[in-house]
Amino acid sequence: MNLYISRDDLMRWLAQLLRERILLAPVRVEGLILFQPVSKVEEVALDFANTTLSPKEWFLPPTETLFSMQRNDGQPQLVPSMVEKDVVIFGLRSCDAKGIALMDSPFLREPADTLYQERRTRTSLIGLSCRQAQPECFCTSVGSAPNDSSHVDILLTEIEDGYIVQVITDKGKALLPQALVESEEALPPPPELQAVPTKAVTQAVREFFNNPYWGRLADRCLHCKICAYVCPTCYCFDVRDYFNKGNLERVRSWDSCQSAGFTRIAGGYDPRATKGARLRQRFSHKLLYFPEEFHDIACVGCGRCVKSCPVNIDIREVMSDLEQLEAKSGS
Amino acid sequence: MDSELIQQIRNQARDLLESGTVKGVIGYERASDGLTARPAFAYEPAAVERLIFDETCTHNLVIYLRDKKAEKMAIVVKPCDSRAINLLLNEKQIKRETLFIIGVTCPGVVETSWNYKGQTLQARCQTCQLSKPLVYDFLVEREPVEWPKAVPYLNVQEMENKSIAARRGFWLEQFERCIRCYACRQVCPGCYCPECFVEQLDPLWVGIRIAPKENELWQIMRAFHLAGRCIGCDECERVCPVAIPLSLLNQKLEKKVKELFDFQAGLSPEEQPPLATFKKEEKLGFEE
Repeated sequence: MNLYISRDDLMRWLAQLLRERILLAPVRVEGLILFQPVSKVEEVALDFANTTLSPKEWFLPPTETLFSMQRNDGQPQLVPSMVEKDVVIFGLRSCDAKGIALMDSPFLREPADTLYQERRTRTSLIGLSCRQAQPECFCTSVGSAPNDSSHVDILLTEIEDGYIVQVITDKGKALLPQALVESEEALPPPPELQAVPTKAVTQAVREFFNNPYWGRLADRCLHCKICAYVCPTCYCFDVRDYFNKGNLERVRSWDSCQSAGFTRIAGGYDPRATKGARLRQRFSHKLLYFPEEFHDIACVGCGRCVKSCPVNIDIREVMSDLEQLEAKSGS
Repeated sequence: MDSELIQQIRNQARDLLESGTVKGVIGYERASDGLTARPAFAYEPAAVERLIFDETCTHNLVIYLRDKKAEKMAIVVKPCDSRAINLLLNEKQIKRETLFIIGVTCPGVVETSWNYKGQTLQARCQTCQLSKPLVYDFLVEREPVEWPKAVPYLNVQEMENKSIAARRGFWLEQFERCIRCYACRQVCPGCYCPECFVEQLDPLWVGIRIAPKENELWQIMRAFHLAGRCIGCDECERVCPVAIPLSLLNQKLEKKVKELFDFQAGLSPEEQPPLATFKKEEKLGFEE
C-alpha cells in the first residue's frame, strides 16, 4: 500500500523539514531551474522538466575547501572541512539519483573521499518521478526509468491533486510527517521514451579507439566544459593549495578532460593534445573505462549535455554511430 | 528553407572539393533535433549534400579557422561573421589566401536553442547594419529581406542610467552563477590566445575557484580583452549555460570605443584597431 500526500500537505512537510535541515530544491532563477538552499517553501518549483545543473553540485561542489591549516602558537593545526547540518534534496529526478549512485563508486571506494562520504551520509533524497519525458531524455536505455525508485529514499509521483509517496529506505521513513493517508490509487504509468542502442558501445569504444571518427566529431566541438559541468556523473577535479597570511587552504574545483591543459604535464608534454583525443576521452570514460572499473555505463540519460551543447554533440548519436561501426566491422 | 540558396552553397562547395581548391568546407547541417542547425565539416564531395542554410544558422563558423590553419578551407559566412574574418585578418591570425569565403546574404537568424526555433529575430539581427558579407569570394545571393531596425544600445543606455552600486550589484549577481565552463571564450572569434590568462599559473592571475570573486575577475578581464575587438556576434551569450547576459557587457564596450575612437571592430581588414595603435595627438587622460 502506498501513501498519499496533498500538495498543501507537501508544502507543510517541506516547511517542517526546512526548520532543522538544509533543504535543497529546484528554484527558478532567470529562466533556469537550479538546486538551491531554500529559505521558504514558496521558492520551490514543482513544475519543471529537469534542473539546469545536476544535484551532483551538492556532493561535489564546483569549489570546496578540503581542509585548511592554521598556525597556533607556531604549531601548524589542520582544520578539516565539516558538513554542518543534515540535508534533504527535494525534487531530484530518477536519472539524477542514479547519477549520485554512480558517483558513489569512485568516491566511496576505499579509501573513501571523506567529505563526499559525510555529505552522502547526512543527505536524504526525495525524488520526484517524471510524468513527462523530454525530447533529450533516454534514461530507459541506460538502466533507469522515469519512475525508478532504486536510488532515492522517498519517491513522489504526482497525481491529480497531490502525490503518491513511496517510502524506499529507513532514512526516508525517518523524514516522513506523522499524518499520511494510505492510498488506493494506482501509480500512473511512466512516459514512453525513445530507445538508444547501447548494447555494443563499450566494445565499440575499445575497438575503434584509433578510428578517424573521433577527429571528425571533434571538428565542431568547442572544447568548452559545458557537457562535463552539467553532467550528473562527470567528476574530474583539480586541487590546489592557496596561501593567505600564513594560513593554507587546499581547494578542490571542477575541471574537465575537454580543456586543453587538462593532461599537460611538466615539460609541456600533453598525451591528449588533439581535439579528437580529448573528445574521445569523454566518451571513453563514460562508455568504456567506467564500466570496466565499476560495471555500469557512466551515463544516466538525463540529456543535459544534449540540450546544452552549443554545437549539438549528441551522446545518443555518438552511441548509435559506434553501434553502427561495430555492426559494420562484425559483418 | 530556401532550397535554391542551399543548392548554390552545395554546388560551390562541391566544385571546390572536386577541383581540390580546398581541403574542406565549413558550413551548416541539420542538428539532431531535426529542427535547428549545427556546424558541419565536409571533406568529400558527397558530404556537401548535408549542407543547409536557414534562419537557425546562428553559429559563427569563423572560430573553426584557428584549428585549420595548415589547410585551405572554404567557409560559409554571414554578414556578421564576416566581421570576425576581418578581425582575424587584421590581427594576423589567418591568411586570406588560405580561405575561400562563401558569403551569404542574410535574412537574420532567430532565437534558437536545442529543439527550439523561435519566431523573433535575435537582438543582434534587429540592429544589424550589414546586408551582405564585407568579404567573400563567392556570394550566394537572394532577394533582399527587409526587417524593422531597432535602435542600437537601448539596453546599454538603460543600464547606464542606473547607479554604480546598482550596476555592480547586477553584475555580481550574474557572475555568481558562472561555472567557468569557458564556453563564452571557446565560441569567441576574438579569443584565440594559445594560453588564456585565466589558466596561466605563472603569473597566477586567477585561481581555480569557481566562486564569486574569481568569476568576477574572469568575466571582467575577458570583457576588457575584447574592448574594440568584439564583433558583436553574441555567441558568448547564446552558449552560456547559466544565462549571463554577456552581450550587454560587450555592447557597452563597443559603444564606448565607438564614442571615443569612432571605430567598430571587423568592418575593415586594414584599419588599425584603436587599442592596438597610438597616435601622438591622442590624449592620455592625465596631466593634460
